[in-house]
Amino acid sequence: MNGSSSSSGDWHDRYYHVDQILDRPGPRTDPSFLAGDEVKDFLRNKCKILVIGAGGLGCEILANLALSGFKDIHVIDMDTIDISNLNRQFLFRQKDVGQPKAIVAAEFIMNRVPGVKVTPYYGKIQDKDDDYYLQFNLVICGLDSVEARRWINATLVNLVDPENPESLKPLIDGGTEDKKLDTDDPEHIGWLYSVALARAKEFKIEGVTWSLTQGVVKNIIPAIASTNAIIAASCCNEAFKIATSSAAYLNNYFMLIGTDAVYSYTFEHERRAECPVCGGESLDITISKEWTVDRLIEMLVEKQDIQIKKPSLASGTKHIYFQAPPQLEEATRPNLEKKVSDLIPDGGEITVTASSLPFSLSLRINYS
Amino acid sequence: MLKTESIDIEQATTHIQAQPDNKTRRYDRQLRLWAASGQAALESARLLVISASATSTSILKNLVLPGIGHFTILDPKKVTPADAGNNFFLNGHSSIGKFRAEEAVSLLRELNDSVDGIADLRNLDDILAKEDGREWIQSFSLVIAHNLDQDILDTLSQLLWENPTSPSLIVHNGALPKTYAEKQAFKANIRNLSQKLDEENFEEAEAQAFRLWSESPVPSDISATLNLPRLDQSSSTSSTAFHALLQTLRAFINSPESSGCLPLTSTLPDMKTDTESYVKLQIMYKEQAKGDNALFKTILKKEFPDLSIDEAMVDAFVKNAHHIKVLRGRRWGTWDKDPASLGPANITEEALRTEVQSLVGQGVELPEQLDDAIGEIARAPTADLPNSAAFLGGMVAQEAIKMITKQYVPVNGYCVIDLVETWTGIVGQP
Repeated sequence: MNGSSSSSGDWHDRYYHVDQILDRPGPRTDPSFLAGDEVKDFLRNKCKILVIGAGGLGCEILANLALSGFKDIHVIDMDTIDISNLNRQFLFRQKDVGQPKAIVAAEFIMNRVPGVKVTPYYGKIQDKDDDYYLQFNLVICGLDSVEARRWINATLVNLVDPENPESLKPLIDGGTEDKKLDTDDPEHIGWLYSVALARAKEFKIEGVTWSLTQGVVKNIIPAIASTNAIIAASCCNEAFKIATSSAAYLNNYFMLIGTDAVYSYTFEHERRAECPVCGGESLDITISKEWTVDRLIEMLVEKQDIQIKKPSLASGTKHIYFQAPPQLEEATRPNLEKKVSDLIPDGGEITVTASSLPFSLSLRINYS
Repeated sequence: MLKTESIDIEQATTHIQAQPDNKTRRYDRQLRLWAASGQAALESARLLVISASATSTSILKNLVLPGIGHFTILDPKKVTPADAGNNFFLNGHSSIGKFRAEEAVSLLRELNDSVDGIADLRNLDDILAKEDGREWIQSFSLVIAHNLDQDILDTLSQLLWENPTSPSLIVHNGALPKTYAEKQAFKANIRNLSQKLDEENFEEAEAQAFRLWSESPVPSDISATLNLPRLDQSSSTSSTAFHALLQTLRAFINSPESSGCLPLTSTLPDMKTDTESYVKLQIMYKEQAKGDNALFKTILKKEFPDLSIDEAMVDAFVKNAHHIKVLRGRRWGTWDKDPASLGPANITEEALRTEVQSLVGQGVELPEQLDDAIGEIARAPTADLPNSAAFLGGMVAQEAIKMITKQYVPVNGYCVIDLVETWTGIVGQP
């Protein structure tokens, strides 16, 4: 009725609800909170936020962020829309089936919430380089793949330059029950924030799959709108608090189970010193003197907390075994049969690299 | 395929034919959670939602998407500039001045063609004042109300309490004071056996061996349920039927043929085994379950010769005998005693503190954490934040689904949520 009052497209009282939080501090607000115009200016005119995934969690996250006042949102998703998505991915309609999620989602949000810019990318997170990720203030993940999660986590950790505080990008990770998880630990999160939902989950997660009476195994995860809504809302709530310092953050893991009344558990997941991603140390491993390079590689592949599929090994400038390029692979293939102890002394170091890892892992070899 | 027994989730979803219809494909993921029976319950449910606030429309989104049968939004108000800014189911500033309920209904309906929704612009006060108005409210299967004024909420809850065919859910945030809630520790409550796929067969057998000699085959919470006195002498057919089934179950356990056990369910737990043994075991289970089902029906006929209960209900009861739970609720407001309604002008920290003290009694020392809670409410007394609305939208919809499908266990009491430190707690359980 009254039209926009400024070039931003905002109308008077548009943010009446949110501004009750931004106009004054509360009992659990950090002293650095800048109530009033300054925080609103940052949130609405400067803050850049990345959403990874435009599916069940992603749709919810995009809508919540847009209404919260984030005006510059980017979204990445490599999938297209399937009919079975429509029971919860509410930015999509029957006519959109087959179209890229990121693009359809971006368009929907921009039509529904005036003044918000959503920039989609239809592709993989691995397609983007460090410079791309450095432009954001915050990253929120609504992923359904452990591998992708580990990748973005590792990428952001490795962006961090102690000389440059801007290089520290908070990651908020949302997840719903993933019965496919094979990991020993809950996903590595280090000092990054994490919000996850689990059902019948212990801290050591074991792979559980649906087992039908006929003995057929399926891996489809039940997914409904309300579950995604809760988790996405928690993630966006954290994003809002982090971007504005308007209230204390979640520290740092929230788990909710809704099958029997409502149970939730909030705890501080601590950083592991020996974590291969952010621990900063070399990983000490002890192997038999008799082990071949091939056997060592097999062990690395099986190691759950690293999740390497095709590792290449080097020591200093010496190539031990490289998966690629083909000439190098062929040249180093004979080393697979050799004993590690013939190539590396006790206490020596091996550098492990892989295309699935945006960093290299340092192993210190000890012989038993 | 023979259908001599009621179908379980695995069966309901395994035999999805090569060309399932669009609806089945769309609902595929949720059918795995609540099966065809849950879906049928959702599709026959009629929902009344009072107010078209951001929280209300968030709740509705999560019920329209899975296919609720019908919803009515009751709200006489017009869209304000503030509404247009926090509600995804309004069209930005072009909705300003139009009726909230109408704008929201149209944007919600387009989420799912199978769902019927209408906007009702009347005042709840006027409806409650008339006989046919009160009947109209009771015609819904579920009523969800958001941020109603205390006195009208009282009237509404009184009406619904006295006419128990429609359960209701109340959602509150902001305007009224909350009493102190305690953090709940995480409680693992795993019902289903889930076996590690790489665990050895022997280890598994050893771990489970205690079941052979454990003392009480009937879990204590089931025994307690079986001994519950009937609350009322209501003539409601579902209540009569349920109590008849409970009594039959008790007789079943006491009968010599059952060896003191609950009827066996034919669903085998996951286990490490070869296919041949699994199938043999499955056949044995099926036979026993069939026998138990027949025994149960014989006893039912004997104890209640004049009562006719729908066969599907009896089967469902027998099949789920291990998971029966009775929740007894309380009328909204009975726990709070009578807090006076506070308007926004009165929401100061001091006023809230005084209110709480008067509720708990003058002599009671108020805990430290209360100051934080009071401070948060005083900071944003009327805010319906988009993220809170979305969070509540998911929580409330989840509860609504549990109540409608009668699966899983609803919250009994008040669920309090703190989105600063992010935790939830349940208080006021009867």
